[in-house]
Amino acid sequence: MKKFIFSSISILFLILIGSVMAGEISVGSVTPLTGKLAVYGEGFQQAMLLAVDEINAAGGIKGNTFKIVFEDNNSTSKGSVSAIRKLITIDKLPLIFGPAASSNFLAVCPIAQENKTILLGAESAAAAISKCGSYVFRVFPSDLLQGIGVAELTNFLEYKEVVLTYVNNDWGVGLAEVFKTEFTKAGGKIIDELPHGEGKTDYRSEILRMKSKNPKAIVNLTYIKEGATILKQAYETGLNVQWLMGSASKSPKLVELAGKASEGVIGTYPTFSQETSQYKAFKTAWDKKYPGKKTPIFGEYNYDMVKLTALALQSAASYGSDDIKAALMKVSKGYIGTTGDKSFDENGDVGASYGRWTIKDGNITDYK
Amino acid sequence: MTIYYVQLLTNGIIAGSIYAMFAVGLAMVYGVFKFINFSHGELITWGAYLTLMFSSPLFSLPLYFAVIPALVITVGIGLAQDFFVYRPLRQSNPIAILIASIGLSYLLRNVIRLCWGSDLQTFDLTLSRGLIFWGIYITKTQILMMLSALLFFGILYFLLTKTLLGKSLRAVSDNMELSSIMGINMKKVTCTIWVLASVFAGSGGILLALDTNLDPMMGMNNLIKAFAAVLLGGAGNIWGALIGGLFIGIAENISVAFISPDYKDFIAFGLIFILLLFKPRGIFGIAGGVR
Repeated sequence: MKKFIFSSISILFLILIGSVMAGEISVGSVTPLTGKLAVYGEGFQQAMLLAVDEINAAGGIKGNTFKIVFEDNNSTSKGSVSAIRKLITIDKLPLIFGPAASSNFLAVCPIAQENKTILLGAESAAAAISKCGSYVFRVFPSDLLQGIGVAELTNFLEYKEVVLTYVNNDWGVGLAEVFKTEFTKAGGKIIDELPHGEGKTDYRSEILRMKSKNPKAIVNLTYIKEGATILKQAYETGLNVQWLMGSASKSPKLVELAGKASEGVIGTYPTFSQETSQYKAFKTAWDKKYPGKKTPIFGEYNYDMVKLTALALQSAASYGSDDIKAALMKVSKGYIGTTGDKSFDENGDVGASYGRWTIKDGNITDYK
Repeated sequence: MTIYYVQLLTNGIIAGSIYAMFAVGLAMVYGVFKFINFSHGELITWGAYLTLMFSSPLFSLPLYFAVIPALVITVGIGLAQDFFVYRPLRQSNPIAILIASIGLSYLLRNVIRLCWGSDLQTFDLTLSRGLIFWGIYITKTQILMMLSALLFFGILYFLLTKTLLGKSLRAVSDNMELSSIMGINMKKVTCTIWVLASVFAGSGGILLALDTNLDPMMGMNNLIKAFAAVLLGGAGNIWGALIGGLFIGIAENISVAFISPDYKDFIAFGLIFILLLFKPRGIFGIAGGVR
């Protein structure tokens, strides 16, 4: 037994010495490698590893090798909490890339804030994340901006009076609030406002109420399943309006579920130019490392997040989280990544430009 | 404006008739075996998914024919539930049987996830505008839902009141031991109950899926409404379950005209709460039994 304890301690010691000797600088990442988001998680990881390769090829961080310690979260909030606790308490990492899905991200952000660990997100959109605290950042635009985007779209299409409906959860309510403020500020009028429940199968009575107001356009801020059901049942009920939606319903699944009822929907989504030199460089590097593989959803955001982190670590006065945080704020100013300007504001959010989508002949295309 | 309310009422009746179809099996099982079957919701889901399976490539049966093998297998699942789980536990603690039904519900739901995934599925039906009767919109699927509910409840009424099997079913629910002493074939009665419960749940599930989508949680989500309908009608009472289902469907749909639609469940359940305060045994307040 004694021998066992002794050898364990020596191995642990050697590992510790080894990691210092090798000159490694590590950050953590809570990534969905198993569970329902695993299909996306693999792509996030590949995009992050591409950035790591480039950073190390260019000399690493102050001569040290840059490394990401990946922890799986099984795509759940519970798994995310265990993963981040391990990265903070056992690996003692000052900076962690947060998990995908806003609910998972929101589950870990109080832990990061409490432990003064920097948390960076690349795909979580909920507006509530802006209020997570001073150690939380994201390179993906907040839904707040999307609310403004939909209001602008409504004005652009010259709808002065609309019915507003939204999915009744943190995300939907937050998004609807922003839309309302922006739309009424520009002189628009909301003739009826009704939240709809998440995951229901029958929205006919809600649709009837919308129909009773005779709107020309309905702003429907919702997800794919709810969106498809509403579109389908509205079509059956003979409701002929222009539907305006957000990016959360922009999916071929919406077309599959709602069929021709989804024809002509117009919506907004966060976008970036694929013509910039930054994007082209990313695309070339991607094709070289992963030949024949399509760039994954949000891959560009993950790549930007890692690149920006490396820049901050380069210029940080020390490897402590407060120094890295200060450096992160500084280097982000005016930083143009593959997904555009990544300057953090005081909430750790970035700006965005919005594209417009529509469904034409059963395909999702850009609205012009 | 009156049309608006009539339309809401129509929607309520349609939704209610589906709730009633889910509730009737629950009420029957409770009436005879005196336990709430939590895995009843999964019979709803299985009915729908099996129809999808038989109408998709590999079998590619037309939808109307796909329903037949789907219902046969759903009935098989219902009977298997009884044979493998509930029958061995019949003499044990009621808590054991309740927990077993919760476990069974998880098992059956996750097998669906394993086979078809968690993602939404849909029957590939062509979408069409609803038919208009005096200004009221109603789709063909909704008409089918109402007609099926009428037909099923009609057959059930006939079975329970005019046949010997139905009469023995009612006798068993009144007093199981006495009925068996009197020579009623218990096996036959037990089988009939599970067959009826599975057919009602499976058919309701298929109709609901035709009207909307399929997802593994569809049974579980509707089970809550079915429970409420059973409680409201008086536990164990089939006709109470029918009235209870219709009441909930109508109350929640009419309430949309007055309050924010997302609180429609609140209205329905609030009314049930008040009603049960005054009539704790439900509308048809009896101690139990299939009437």
